[in-house]
Amino acid sequence: MAIHLNLKKEILTSEKESVLHLMPCDIHGDEPALVSSYFTPYIRRKDDEHLTTSFRGYPLQGKTITLPKGYTGLVLHESKNAESESLDRNLFATGKFTQFTYWNYDKLPSKNDAVVAALEWIDIAEALHSNDDDVAN
Amino acid sequence: MSEDEQKSEFAVEPNEAESINGVDHITSRADLTPYFVNSDHSVNKIHVSKVPQICRTEPCQLGVDEAGRGPVLGPMVYGISYAPLSEKQLLVDLGCADSKTLTEDQRDAIFDKICENDDKMGWAVEVISPNVIANSMYRRSKVTLNEVSMNSAIGLIRRAIEAGVNLAEVYVDTVGKPEKYQAKLKEIFPELKITVAKKADSTYPIVSAASICAKVSRDHALRAWQFREGENENEYGSGYPNDPVTKKWLTQNIDQVFGFPQLVRFSWSTAEKILESSALPVDWEEVNDEESPPNNQKISKFFSKVDTHNKVNRKKHTFFADRCLTNATSL
Repeated sequence: MAIHLNLKKEILTSEKESVLHLMPCDIHGDEPALVSSYFTPYIRRKDDEHLTTSFRGYPLQGKTITLPKGYTGLVLHESKNAESESLDRNLFATGKFTQFTYWNYDKLPSKNDAVVAALEWIDIAEALHSNDDDVAN
Repeated sequence: MSEDEQKSEFAVEPNEAESINGVDHITSRADLTPYFVNSDHSVNKIHVSKVPQICRTEPCQLGVDEAGRGPVLGPMVYGISYAPLSEKQLLVDLGCADSKTLTEDQRDAIFDKICENDDKMGWAVEVISPNVIANSMYRRSKVTLNEVSMNSAIGLIRRAIEAGVNLAEVYVDTVGKPEKYQAKLKEIFPELKITVAKKADSTYPIVSAASICAKVSRDHALRAWQFREGENENEYGSGYPNDPVTKKWLTQNIDQVFGFPQLVRFSWSTAEKILESSALPVDWEEVNDEESPPNNQKISKFFSKVDTHNKVNRKKHTFFADRCLTNATSL
């Protein structure tokens, strides 16, 4: 089985970024959501760093997370058809991002959150796998 | 959740002193609608009338009551009103009586008179957003509706004192057990004579006045609701769960992902039940992890034959486990 990532040049070179919200709950569905009418209008700035909003009445606290320098995020879409395991899979890039909004349920986002901490790996991997010469530079 | 749109600037936490375009002070019933149309419905809003001179010098009584505790739609409103002890007859003359026995028109007329008598009495309301109610009840450590109510009442009494009202006596329509509530208030305001009672609304005219201010404000705030979700569908009835118009509106205004517009108190069982059956299921992380039973293992487990041949189940280092990182060999 092969996985094909289909990236169009226009998406990578475009100035336009996808606006993403990482939610602290599982929403059991896969369909377009009216984010800009139901969600975005209620986001408020709490202080320089933090945001607050609600989802289905639950209080959320959030923060904008910027990807490490040199990295670009991709939004990939897979149209599922009744395929067997052996068939190739096709994923299509529908957008790119360099930042996203991370939301916690009634808890201030911090360095202890898995997503925030996971991004540390990028720096550590860099240090572990680069040549001495690179590190010295 | 993803969406293609340009980044938008988010609202800053509102400053209470900030004046909203149009009406920022209510001096008559006509001010209520423009006041609520322009206010931010997703947060609480406090309005305090000007303190008349006589209420600064003469000892006053103050009443506390609420409106809109039961409805599944719109804000809950807390109200206070106060007047000098020497003006007890004024309240009776204005018709301040059990608000349950009054029609909407009668309440409106009495509210007008309360506003006209702004040289003898004052009032204040806190409009508690349905969103704030749901947020409180859905917090990790839940805040009950009674606690929300008491905090609002205490806040409004404090406001009156800070504004310069010469408070002597306070009458409160109870939530929960009157004795417990009275003891709580007594501790916070030891210098005041405090009476907490059931149906204080029908016993004390000053509580009736507070009740009327709260109820008239609630009715106007509900009707002046501006939907940010788009549609401005105003046929939502009284907001009580047993109102057929409200019921119909709830079943017709479901969003599969977001549930309802924020006019709805999501934490009400009426709303929860509708979403359970008609919207996408949503799972939140468990809050009480400590409650789970300890991992009981039989001692014999350690002596049984273990098949180490096929599986090399190397445990991930906690660095990766904590960060939910795994090797990606497939998607």
